[in-house]
Amino acid sequence: MVIGFSQLIDLLIGGLAIGCVYSLVALGFAMIMRATSIIHFAQGEVMMLGSMCGLTSLWLLPALPLPLVLAVGMVSSGLIAVAMELAVYRTLRRRRVPIMNVITATVGMSILCINAARIIWGSEPLRFPELFATDAYAFAGVRISPQLFWIMVMGLALMGALQLFLKHTRTGIAMQAVAQDPETAQLIGANLTRMMAYTFAISGMMAGAAGVMLGSMFFAFFEMGFITGVKGFIAATLGGLGSIAGAMLGGILFGLIETFSAVFLSSAYKDGIGMILLIAILLVLPSGLVGLWQKRS
Amino acid sequence: MAEALVGRSDAPQGERSRAVRRVTWIALAALILVPWIESDKFVLHILSLIAIASIVAMGLQLLLGGSGQLSIGQAAFYGIGAYASALLTTKLGVTFPLALIGAGVAAALASLLMVPITRLTGPYLAVATLGFSILVYLVIKNEEWLTGGSYGFIGIPRADLFGHVLRDAMHSYYLCVGVAALVYAVFARIEGTRFGRAVNAVRQDADAAAASGLRVTLIKSQCFVIAAFVAGLAGSLYAHEVRYLAPNDFTFWKSIEILIMVVIGGVGSLPGAILGAAIVVGLPEILREIGDYRMLVFGAILMATMLFGEGGLAALFAAIGRRIGALWTRSVPSAAGNSSR
Amino acid sequence: MSVATSGGSGVDRSDPAFRSAHAGDVLLQAKSVTRLFGGVRAVDGVDLAVRRGSVHGLIGPNGAGKTTLLNLIAGVFPLSAGALHFGARDITRHSTADRARGGIRRTFQNLRLFLEMTALENVAIGVHAETRCGFFDAVLRTPRQRREESGIRERAMQALMFVGLAGLAHARASTLAYGHRRLLEIARAIVAAPQLLLLDEPAAGLNATEAVHVTELISRLRGRGTTIILVEHHMDVVMSACDEITVLNYGRKLANGTPAAIQDDPAVIEAYLGRAVEHDHARA
Repeated sequence: MVIGFSQLIDLLIGGLAIGCVYSLVALGFAMIMRATSIIHFAQGEVMMLGSMCGLTSLWLLPALPLPLVLAVGMVSSGLIAVAMELAVYRTLRRRRVPIMNVITATVGMSILCINAARIIWGSEPLRFPELFATDAYAFAGVRISPQLFWIMVMGLALMGALQLFLKHTRTGIAMQAVAQDPETAQLIGANLTRMMAYTFAISGMMAGAAGVMLGSMFFAFFEMGFITGVKGFIAATLGGLGSIAGAMLGGILFGLIETFSAVFLSSAYKDGIGMILLIAILLVLPSGLVGLWQKRS
Repeated sequence: MAEALVGRSDAPQGERSRAVRRVTWIALAALILVPWIESDKFVLHILSLIAIASIVAMGLQLLLGGSGQLSIGQAAFYGIGAYASALLTTKLGVTFPLALIGAGVAAALASLLMVPITRLTGPYLAVATLGFSILVYLVIKNEEWLTGGSYGFIGIPRADLFGHVLRDAMHSYYLCVGVAALVYAVFARIEGTRFGRAVNAVRQDADAAAASGLRVTLIKSQCFVIAAFVAGLAGSLYAHEVRYLAPNDFTFWKSIEILIMVVIGGVGSLPGAILGAAIVVGLPEILREIGDYRMLVFGAILMATMLFGEGGLAALFAAIGRRIGALWTRSVPSAAGNSSR
Repeated sequence: MSVATSGGSGVDRSDPAFRSAHAGDVLLQAKSVTRLFGGVRAVDGVDLAVRRGSVHGLIGPNGAGKTTLLNLIAGVFPLSAGALHFGARDITRHSTADRARGGIRRTFQNLRLFLEMTALENVAIGVHAETRCGFFDAVLRTPRQRREESGIRERAMQALMFVGLAGLAHARASTLAYGHRRLLEIARAIVAAPQLLLLDEPAAGLNATEAVHVTELISRLRGRGTTIILVEHHMDVVMSACDEITVLNYGRKLANGTPAAIQDDPAVIEAYLGRAVEHDHARA
């Protein structure tokens, strides 16, 4: 199937945009897994709730500019994630229940959130109002959708900001220390509870941003966190669980592959391509893409 | 037999297994008597579904509690078994007993595709099984010529045994409970054998097992195939109980439900898998009264039960059983002196 | 050197007849074995020749690469360079399980028992590879399975008796005292009568009495014809149990020879033994 250059750029930007969404969800999985060793099954629901809250803010204030909608989504998701941690997960950790129990509790949390959302917002898909300019940007003879373009830019900007935060701020470095070695980190003064809360807050905020972006690309509905959460988790695994950079890379890769294979292969099996790819990569690199970097050294 | 797969008990072996065997026989007797006490068709139907779910859960118990492999893809084999049985009986006119076995075999064959994945561990294995589950779901949904796709597979006949069609809810209850009891007995037999020890060793320390000459990947693969076969059997029973199949019955979410059954019941406990199945299938039915809020409450209950820690419900019941047993022996004067803690 | 030289069966390894019967018969040969971790050369071009029927010690300061070398022989990770020969076979690429099945068994420095199983069950795992009954036999409890199972338990009991743990056969491994756990590891490793036994610090953390028991066990095993590679820090155990010792330092072979020769080697003294040499000389 022959495609034109313009179409190629379209697909590329589209793939990168959805890839950024997956990356934001994926890095939340990675951060939480690094800090607590659990698979946070409710991460997709955190994203969904951010989307819903962002949409609700637009209902209340229709003239709200995009950056504020994003902020609302991020803040609400961040707060919800912290609430989950402080109310439930921390209690379980303190009781030293086995890890499988904590993971199952996140499943319970997921069920709770999905059904709460269904009760509050109903089960119909909800459209976001137009947040972006509708006229395509023309650039070097190519037409680019503003929505996809700005989502990609915002996603990359958020991820860049996160990397800077983690590497160059005291809190960020402390968070990394706690994730690597909680006991030693405590000895040098890190407050474990606070660091865990920050971890959940940040992963929540990233998910919230993803939710607003995804909602504006398609629509928001109570189950949207489910499949996107699964894809985010897969992307995080692809990149090597526990590696934040790997999660970001994995998400973008996943988005690109999904977008291109929907066009070139079957769109019915578009979700499936990612799965096959994931399994294939894991068979060759059992710890994800991170294994590739390690093999070289 | 309470910790049949794992043998994690601390108490003296002899008296524990006697007590456990007693409880098991009582439970079996109770199950046989149930339809005579409660003849409501809907209740029997739910109990049949619980029995079916417990079969899949017991298979996962072998995987997770036995060999230590977290699979969140068992719904795939459940679905393959269900559709295989439906196809065999409707399109090929195969009788039910053969279709039942055929369903198990189909699921087992499909699981051979997963054998390379058994090299993976932890969340990587989990994600790979998840991917497989989603793939199977997609095939079920898209290949309408085979499965009816989203329109569903209708017209599945009732189960029939030796020519006698099981029209009565009571008879299909006995069929489901019978197969579940058989699967339970099979898995319980594994304890104390070379195979059972090998599976446990692989879970506890795969490297030490390899250092003793165990082929870890082979053992893990065997567990996968067995669990898949059993899930396939359950799928067949489901197909002929409900007589209508839709892709939504076999999503990744169903795999999670099966996992929840095992965790609630207690990882490593065979009876726990049955308890867990009863809760996961039965609780939403009991909560039906609450209407819209029922899954909300279910989620909350799930989180709350996770506070119970190690061993889940099975450990809880075992602890209660021990207390009752201690009270019993204390109330019966014995020449050897009272039981003491 | 005459401490603990006679094994349980009365073999005197200082007997020239014994020595000549075994001399030159190398069971395990490591040629230029190297293992890299990132940039670190944990083991660097080490040659090792372990004679059949001997107890071969591997000593060196912490970080010298002893356990890494042992792990390489056991197949825990692949060689970065070099080759390993076991008897006539090149086992360089063999997996851990294949080496175990081929007759190389090991104990672990930090004890890797199956804690939820009883002592007997732990040892039973040691004979898993020599037996056959699988899932269907287990479920059906065929006569073959029952025979095999009682055979397994018999052999496991014998191994437990050999190390002195018979009385604790049905105790859960997690309830055993540390010293008994060490013995259980050994029992599990020897139940299948391996040709080559790799002991990774079997006396670590043991008191003097327990250490003597281990030394005596090693000599009895040697008496049975088992070849042993022993990594150990307990100098009493090493000097009294070993026929030959290889000293490693910074991943390289520093010296190789009899215990007496090693104790006198100035390079070894400088790197490692220090004052302990004078102490041992005073006693011998």
